Amino acid sequence: MPMPEGRWIDVEGLRTRYYEAGSGEPIVMVYGGNFGTSDSASSAFTWNLNQRPLAERFRVIVPDKVGQGYTDNPRNDDYTMRAVVRHLAGFLRAMQLPPAHLVGHSRGGYACARLALEHHDLVRSVTLVNSGTLSPGVGTNEVVLSRPPYPKYTPECVRWVYQSYSFDPRVVTDEWVKAVLEILALPKYRESVRKIEEEKLGVKLFLPELAREKRETLQWLNEGRLQRPSQVIWGFDDRTATLERGIELFRMIAQHERRAQFHVINQSGHFPFREHPARFNALLARFVSQC
Amino acid sequence: MLKAPVIFLHGGVPGVTPYCSGAHIWGRALELFAAERKALALDLRGPTVEAQIEEARAALGGDAVHLVGHDLGGLVALALAAEAPQRVRSVSAVASVAAAPTGDSVVNLTLAHPPPPLWSRRSQAWALERVSYSHQHIDAALLDACERAARAHPTARSEEFQPSLMAAKARLYELCRERGYPVPAQIVWGTHDPLGSFDQGLWLFRLIAQKQRVAQFHAINRAGALPFREEPEAFHQVVSAFLEALAA
Repeated sequence: MPMPEGRWIDVEGLRTRYYEAGSGEPIVMVYGGNFGTSDSASSAFTWNLNQRPLAERFRVIVPDKVGQGYTDNPRNDDYTMRAVVRHLAGFLRAMQLPPAHLVGHSRGGYACARLALEHHDLVRSVTLVNSGTLSPGVGTNEVVLSRPPYPKYTPECVRWVYQSYSFDPRVVTDEWVKAVLEILALPKYRESVRKIEEEKLGVKLFLPELAREKRETLQWLNEGRLQRPSQVIWGFDDRTATLERGIELFRMIAQHERRAQFHVINQSGHFPFREHPARFNALLARFVSQC
Repeated sequence: MLKAPVIFLHGGVPGVTPYCSGAHIWGRALELFAAERKALALDLRGPTVEAQIEEARAALGGDAVHLVGHDLGGLVALALAAEAPQRVRSVSAVASVAAAPTGDSVVNLTLAHPPPPLWSRRSQAWALERVSYSHQHIDAALLDACERAARAHPTARSEEFQPSLMAAKARLYELCRERGYPVPAQIVWGTHDPLGSFDQGLWLFRLIAQKQRVAQFHAINRAGALPFREEPEAFHQVVSAFLEALAA
C-alpha cells in the first residue's frame, strides 16, 4: 500500500519529512528503532498498512524522527533519545496540531510516553505497541537479533532482521525490504551509521543516556504523571519484547489511569500493526473515537 | 452489506449464583450494540451446560452470528460455536471464569456468605456489589430486573450442573489442544475481577490461541466480574472493533 506524498517542514532548523492523509482528529504515528543502524532501518513506511485505512476517518500524520527516514540528522552529534523527543514535540508544535492521539511502537512508544509526560498540552491519548524500551523488565532484542548472519546494508540482512521480529516470516514483503534499503542508501543515513557504529556513539552516548532518562521516565509513569487515556497493544509472539513486558507496562499505567486498556493479538511478533493491520486499525479507531 | 447480528448469553450458575442473571444483565452495553447492529440477549434457564447450549442453539437463525457470553455464557458460547462453526462468526467470552482453567485452586470466598433470604433484593444487591470493582452500575432498574428474574424462575440447584461444567471444559480444552479452536475468539477480562484472576483470563486466551490465528485478549481497567456493566463504553469499543475487523 503506497504512502501519501511526503512533505517537508522545518522543525527548529531540522528539515523534517512527514506524511499526512485524511482529516479530523489528528493521530500521530511514531515508529521504532533508532538512527545509525546498518542491519535495518525503520521509517515512516513502517505504518504504510495503517495510515491510509485510518485516514478514512482521521487526520493521520507520520513524521520521520530526527536522524531516521529522510529527516536531517541531529545537530552537534546529539544522538540521544532526548533529542528525538524534543524534535517530536517541536514537530507537533510546528504543525500547530490540536492535542493529538499518539501511537508509538517499540522505541517510538518510549518517545511518545516521554513526550506525553513532558508536554501534556500536546497529547490527547497514548497508544503503546510492543515497547520493550518503555517496560521495566528485560528486553531480548540483543538476544534475538545480535550479529545477523548476513552483511550489513544487504536485502538479506534486512529480511532476516524483520523476519526474526515477526511471527509469520511472509509478512516481510519485498515492498517493506525495498523501503528499508532506500533509507540505508541515503548519504545522510550512512553518516549516522558512521557516528553510531564507527565512532561508537550508540554505546557511548545513546544507550547510557537512554538508561539514565528511562529511570526517571518509569518513575514518572509510576507516579501517575501520564494523565491521558492509554492503551497497550501487544503482539503475543514477540520474542524481543515478550508479553510479560506488556503486562508490566499496562499495570504501571493502569494503577493511575481509569481509561487504560490492554490488548493482545495472537500470531503476531513485534509488529502487530503489520501482521494484523485490519484488527489493529479497528482497535485504534474505536479507542481514539472514545477518548 | 448487513452486519451480522450479535447474541448475548448471560452467566450465573442456576440455583447457586446469589444474583439472578438473565437478558437484563447486559444493560447499557446491549443498547450500544443495538445502535450498530441487530443485538439479542437470551434468557438461559437450563439446569446443565448441555441444556443451555441447546437453548442457545435454538436461537440461532439462518445467518451466522457473533456470540458474546459472560462467565457460564462464555463457556456456552465457546461450546456452541465449536459444535456449529458455520453458524457462528466469532465468540467473545467475557470474565468467563466458568471456561477458564483453575488447576487446584483455593476456594474463592467472594460470595461465600450471602445475607438471607437468598435472591431477595438485598441479597442480590450484596452479591452484585461483591463481584464489582465499583457499585455505581447497581441501580434500581438492575435490582428490579434481578428480583423479577428470581420470582420467575426456579432457584433449585441441579446435582447435574457441576459434572456438566467439568465435561464441557474438558471438551473445550481437548479441542483447543488437538484440532484447534475453529472460530475467531477473544477473551475480555476486568483487571479487578474478584472471581477470576487476570492470569486465568490470559490462560483461557492462550488455550484458544494455540491453533486459532484470530484470537485476542483484552483487559478493561477498573472493572470486576461485570466489565460490560461497569465500563459499557470501553466494553463496546473493544468487542465491536473485533467484530468490525472480521467483517472487513
